[in-house]
Amino acid sequence: MTMTVTGAADDVRTAVPAPVPARRRRRWRHRGAEAAWAYLLIAPTGLGLAVFYLWPVLQTGYFSFTEWGPFGGHEWVGLDNYRTLAADDEVLTALRNTVAYTLLGLLGIPLAVLFAALLNRPRLRGVSVYRALFFLPVVTMPVAVAMVWRWLYNGDYGLINYLLSLAGVDGPHWIADPATALYAMVAVGIWTSLGYNIVIFLAGMQSIPREYYEAASIDGAGALAQFRRITLPLLSPSLFFVSVLSVIGSLQLFDLVYVMGGSGQAARANPAFPRIQTVVHLFYDKAFYTNDRGYAAAIVMALLVLIVVLTAIQFRLQKRWVHYG
Amino acid sequence: MWKAVRVGAAAVLAAALAVSAAGCGGEEPAASDDKVTLSYAVWDKNQVPVMEELAAAFTKDHPNITINVQLTPWADYWTKLRAAVTGGAAPDVFWMNGPNIQLYADNGVIMPLSDKVDQAKLDLNVYPKALVDLYTFEGKVYGLPKDFDTVGVWYNKELFDAAGVKYPADGWTWADFKAAAAKLSNPAKGVYAVGANLAGQEYFYNTIYQAGGNVISADGKKSGYDDPATIEGLRFWTDLIKNKQSPDLKTMTDTAPLNLFESGKLAMYWGGSWNVAEFGKNEYTKTRVDAAPLPTGVKQATIIHGLANVVSAKTKAPAQAWEFVKFLGSKPAAEILGRKGPIPAHTGTQDAWLTANAQFKGKVFLDAVSYAVPYPVSRNTAAWNDEEFKQLTKAYSGEVEVDAAAKELAAQMNALLAKE
Amino acid sequence: MAEPPRPPRGGRTATHVTLLIGAAVMVGPFLWQFLTSLKTLTNATRVPPTFLPDWRWSNYGDVFELLPFGDQFLNTVLMTAARTAGQLLFCSMAAYAFARLRFPGRGLLFGVFLSVLMVPPPLFVIPQYEIMADLGWLNSLTALIVPGLFSAFGVFLLRQFFLGLPKELDEAARLDGAGPLRIYWSVMLPLARPGLLALGILTVLWSWNDLFWPLIVNTDPEQMTLSAGLASLQGQFQTDYPVLMAGSLLASLPVIVLFTVMQRHFIQGIAFSGNKG
Repeated sequence: MTMTVTGAADDVRTAVPAPVPARRRRRWRHRGAEAAWAYLLIAPTGLGLAVFYLWPVLQTGYFSFTEWGPFGGHEWVGLDNYRTLAADDEVLTALRNTVAYTLLGLLGIPLAVLFAALLNRPRLRGVSVYRALFFLPVVTMPVAVAMVWRWLYNGDYGLINYLLSLAGVDGPHWIADPATALYAMVAVGIWTSLGYNIVIFLAGMQSIPREYYEAASIDGAGALAQFRRITLPLLSPSLFFVSVLSVIGSLQLFDLVYVMGGSGQAARANPAFPRIQTVVHLFYDKAFYTNDRGYAAAIVMALLVLIVVLTAIQFRLQKRWVHYG
Repeated sequence: MWKAVRVGAAAVLAAALAVSAAGCGGEEPAASDDKVTLSYAVWDKNQVPVMEELAAAFTKDHPNITINVQLTPWADYWTKLRAAVTGGAAPDVFWMNGPNIQLYADNGVIMPLSDKVDQAKLDLNVYPKALVDLYTFEGKVYGLPKDFDTVGVWYNKELFDAAGVKYPADGWTWADFKAAAAKLSNPAKGVYAVGANLAGQEYFYNTIYQAGGNVISADGKKSGYDDPATIEGLRFWTDLIKNKQSPDLKTMTDTAPLNLFESGKLAMYWGGSWNVAEFGKNEYTKTRVDAAPLPTGVKQATIIHGLANVVSAKTKAPAQAWEFVKFLGSKPAAEILGRKGPIPAHTGTQDAWLTANAQFKGKVFLDAVSYAVPYPVSRNTAAWNDEEFKQLTKAYSGEVEVDAAAKELAAQMNALLAKE
Repeated sequence: MAEPPRPPRGGRTATHVTLLIGAAVMVGPFLWQFLTSLKTLTNATRVPPTFLPDWRWSNYGDVFELLPFGDQFLNTVLMTAARTAGQLLFCSMAAYAFARLRFPGRGLLFGVFLSVLMVPPPLFVIPQYEIMADLGWLNSLTALIVPGLFSAFGVFLLRQFFLGLPKELDEAARLDGAGPLRIYWSVMLPLARPGLLALGILTVLWSWNDLFWPLIVNTDPEQMTLSAGLASLQGQFQTDYPVLMAGSLLASLPVIVLFTVMQRHFIQGIAFSGNKG
């Protein structure tokens, strides 16, 4: 039941060669050969990461201080992009939306815990069938998911509003109405990741020794008390892992917005779009639609700051509530 | 230098991994004095065969010049073209459109053709004047028109019959349109007269000019959106939405007006001559729809737009490239184009297009040339196009009164124009 | 042995009812997608809706007319296969070295690898695009594949796995005179099959469904992946829902079928990455 984070931390520590008594280790005759092999084995991924990931990050940082001309070429403009950005309503709105997605997206966690707890009840029939059904959206292409929901949400011909009309409710144009669009999108996000989170939680719950519950049972603790005193604390590493993933995922939301909100002209003609625009979508629009790459780079640097801050807060807070067994 | 490092590192890596570079085709034979290969960039896949036919016809008369037609899809055309221009690898001849012409001319990317036109004693009056004007920048012509499109009203005969409304006809007016719209709409059943699509070329640009307004001043320096007549042209659409004779923006965001029209929910669809292809193919519209001219407001007007062929300023074979563009603008070339493509720009060659699309009243779109207004552009059209969407969305959704939105738009657009 | 705790009586029905409602919400959209995919546009936009379809299978054919679906399917398969094969090989090589070999700078290098894991993808994209443009790789399969061959996450995941294998194994092999390459290939890889399977499944899932990168580099419809091709249909001018439903169903079907066949491995792979990753 060691969870990600403990595991990761331990391993980073052990990654530094520990001083092991030399005679107890059998080594190849030439230490040099071992190192050479190691470098060779690491080389493909190492070079690939360097060329396609590390170097580009530095370049993006550099680009954020440049302005791109209509026919390529860029010139250094210092902090201009950042100054524009700080006063740009579009950017601030996108940042606000992104934070809203992130916070609301966390609501999916209790829901997943609930279903995982139900599935974890002993001798329940059909667990694997339920689990498979809940997992279906996880393996479905996000673009396809977004299209299906766009259709379900259709204000005039959508299934959801039809079902509501049976109950006498006149449903809104869910994703075209500025008042509901963001929440409708969050719901799809939660729907999509629910199965994944359930699987993680279920694995976490199943690794909790039965004896704990038995002992609690003997002490006369009810199901709810057991859940609160045993399941939740011992599940806290999984909860932490899922919440970190959920936050990072929400902060980079793109696919759903691209398909359900549109892009380019379609997005511009969508009255709800300013309410659902995310930072990554705005970045895409600036970098590849209006070709304002310097400004796009600055926007994505702002996103990096947001991610670092929110993740740091999470790691800081984890000390208060995550228990490692 | 960094670029070299980047390319070098990536290339070494790629080689080391032995990944086959599938995308590296397109070899360029060395151009000698007598043999030249010109690249010709286009964006419409459907027109590639006809472009190749034209290229072959040209090579037949000019055996030393071969044409290599390069297709870049619309979505990527301008991005790639910009990259190619930057890298000094621009195609010799390429398609140009209204919103981009001034940007390319102003930056010296394309070659002015006026001198060559004069030398060859070409008569530019064989093309619609609005198109020649569109491709004229600071007094010089930069492209020879290739084709054109105009806007008309596509209407659903079945819905008109059901509502007992006469089909739109030549000379109908805004008043006729509004009277018909009132009778054709039945919001309870989800049927509307027309979809007030938030689009310039087919929708609000037309009514702006019909109302006697303008989008941008003739010199391209001042926005027309604060002109009361322009605002009337916009109010035409916001009123339709208010009166529930058009679905609101939310409905049209959920379901595109084109698809509403194709499922019998809209009686009319303002569209272009290019819609013949879609409506001729679609099972529902094939038998039910036809075209009529746009209604007349204070004036009769329709937006005309068309493409032109332009020559790269950096081409290695300017003489041959001009020769090719001249051929593309000629009558024989236009006749080939008309049989398989859009309406050719050269006068007297449009009958082939009419015959090819005989199931609709295509003549509507040809007649429209006589009162057509050129597509409004400036040096950086894209910048204020964005602003149009931003402000008009608020007016169409009823968040802001149309005149307030238009005035705000004018202010923003003037600020952008001042920067050009 | 004590009996495992029992849920309170009557709770069992409530449990099933809740789970069934949940399952219906999860599966319902797919059923509606399937039903819509067989309607005409006119019937799909009827109010109130009709539930039974018109069995209009030609919508599936229309997908092929609207998109070069065959090309895009092939592109997606090739991209997914190449990325997965590449990651399994390269990541396992690096992971083995980090887990089992000793060399100067190991901690530092691994730290650098981990740092890539922390950076969100949009930060790479503009320069990556520029590299592709410089090399003339835009609109090619190469552009789709190459950056996806390398994964810091994959190295991390497999390293965790290798660390969990008993040390005696490679020590024995060393005594027999095997070199690092042979130990990697003949001892470690066979033992790492569950780890490789987990990484393979995650990479297939990620590649097949990837949108951002394919959308940017390949804009020629014939060079697009299914994800990007399908996404290009949405927009102001195309909301023919029955055809869109047919297309989205076809595009996601291969992975859904794979999931159905290998369900246990999928779930284990996810749970594994959740525990180790």
